[in-house]
Amino acid sequence: MAQASTVDVRPATVSRRSRRHRANSVALAFAAPALIVYAAFLLYPAIYSIRISFTSWDGLSPVMKYVGLSNYVKMFKDPVMKTAVKNNVIWALVTIFAPMVIGFALALAVNSKVYLRPFIRTIFYMPAVLPLVGVGTIWNWLFQPSGVINQLLALIGLGSLQNAWLGDSTTAIWAITIPACWVGTGFPMLLYLAALQGIPSDYYESARVDGASWWQQLRYITVPSLSAAHAIILALSLINAAKVFDLVFAMTNGGPGNATQVMGTWMYFNVFQSYNAGYGTAIAVVITIVAVLVGIPYVRAQAKAIR
Amino acid sequence: MLLVAAALWFSPLMALILTAIKTPTDFGQHGALAIPHSFTLQNFIDGWNIGQFGTAFQNSGLITLVKVPIGVVLAALLSFSLAKLKLPLRRVITFTMLMGLTIPIFIAVVPIFTMLRSVGLTNSLWGLLPPYLAFGLPFETLVLTSFFGSVPDEIIEAARIDGAGELTVFFRIMVPLSLPALTTVAILDAVATWNELLIALILLSSPEHRTVPLALLNFQGQFTTNFSGLSAGILIAIVPILVVYALLQKWIVSGLTAGAVKG
Repeated sequence: MAQASTVDVRPATVSRRSRRHRANSVALAFAAPALIVYAAFLLYPAIYSIRISFTSWDGLSPVMKYVGLSNYVKMFKDPVMKTAVKNNVIWALVTIFAPMVIGFALALAVNSKVYLRPFIRTIFYMPAVLPLVGVGTIWNWLFQPSGVINQLLALIGLGSLQNAWLGDSTTAIWAITIPACWVGTGFPMLLYLAALQGIPSDYYESARVDGASWWQQLRYITVPSLSAAHAIILALSLINAAKVFDLVFAMTNGGPGNATQVMGTWMYFNVFQSYNAGYGTAIAVVITIVAVLVGIPYVRAQAKAIR
Repeated sequence: MLLVAAALWFSPLMALILTAIKTPTDFGQHGALAIPHSFTLQNFIDGWNIGQFGTAFQNSGLITLVKVPIGVVLAALLSFSLAKLKLPLRRVITFTMLMGLTIPIFIAVVPIFTMLRSVGLTNSLWGLLPPYLAFGLPFETLVLTSFFGSVPDEIIEAARIDGAGELTVFFRIMVPLSLPALTTVAILDAVATWNELLIALILLSSPEHRTVPLALLNFQGQFTTNFSGLSAGILIAIVPILVVYALLQKWIVSGLTAGAVKG
């Protein structure tokens, strides 16, 4: 018996191994097309950019001269970069806080009104499907000195507050975050609404039996139960705040006088308008490091969820 | 309260509509918010002609129609391999692919530009295809791998015992069972492709290649004083995507929340 089994086992292992080998190559064949495209047009360019960021390349000439870390040192002395970083931080704070709060309030309000839900969802998510350039164009038009917002202020007797919102370097960046919130509120609302459906109703029932107030139920049941949704919204808002480009580009193009530059537009301006590809790419590397660092917990959570 | 908030949310588009159907004189006298004293479609005719939106719709439509099916098929094949075929290094590959959700396009634009220039694909609509595919894959793979993972292994095993190869399993079982997920991914991908700005801005320079966002940018630059013409042009540019949204929003909403809540 013992002998027979050793004789039997060996060919079985071999064939199992070769079967596994075959299965691996089939799996690889399915994966290869996507992996090749991803490696060639995302990973490779990203790594190549790191190399460019250590040069003084203009983006055109055939030679790249290595300048070590000087592009990165330059960033610390560049006053526009300082403005840009500050604007990205303002952007992050406003576009995290306002859409989260408004989205949460809307989700709570509409959760009990089943008949209104589809309508509210449609209206509030709608701006998010528009091209951001279109959103920028609309709000550019609303913010014009003789535009709708100033007309509205005059109409309600607040004419003294009229301003050239986008032409004034103290108000411009704040003005651009308003359309960003207009666009960004729909997603948290949808997520919160979906997550609210998942809270078992007996939590609330037993809380009510124990005499918990509306506020206590909100504070101790609703808000904590939505922690997964909070985390996703926070992560995506942070990533998007690092990536902001379209709205600023379409509305002020970084002006007036660089007051609304964000890291993305300042990178674009350096590479494609003043031919400092080396410096611009170094800015891109910094944006990427920020986006990746704030995004890693989100990516890890998603990777675990699909495993 | 909710209805007031909804009205407020819709008011930018309402102001746009009210202005677009007025004559410029009416707008000058009564402003954007007044009920129109006049009605005209001339603004739309002007906006259409000056904005060259016909060309832009054609270009955006073409790149979307080509990019989305290719992207979804590539992502579906990869997702099948990740979810059901025990691809070697599965964890590393999944993580690397999902990192693409956070990597900004800025980091890749300069090399992409030089790569495409070396093969003569700058200022061509087809130059957009490779970077659009690459940057679309992470999201598509996230949703599809998650969905494929929920298809019971028993169904697949049963087919394999009946002698089905993996390609048959993919096309006869995975694809039909995953049609809702595939549709959602395709729709979200189409919206993103239609709206993309940065890569198009960098690669395309001549007017006949402009996509919708580029046409809008250019249009905005030409209409600095004629608000009625401007608002009509903006409406023309955004109406197709609004119609798509109105018709397909069920898929959009389900796709956005499906993966996210359980993560």
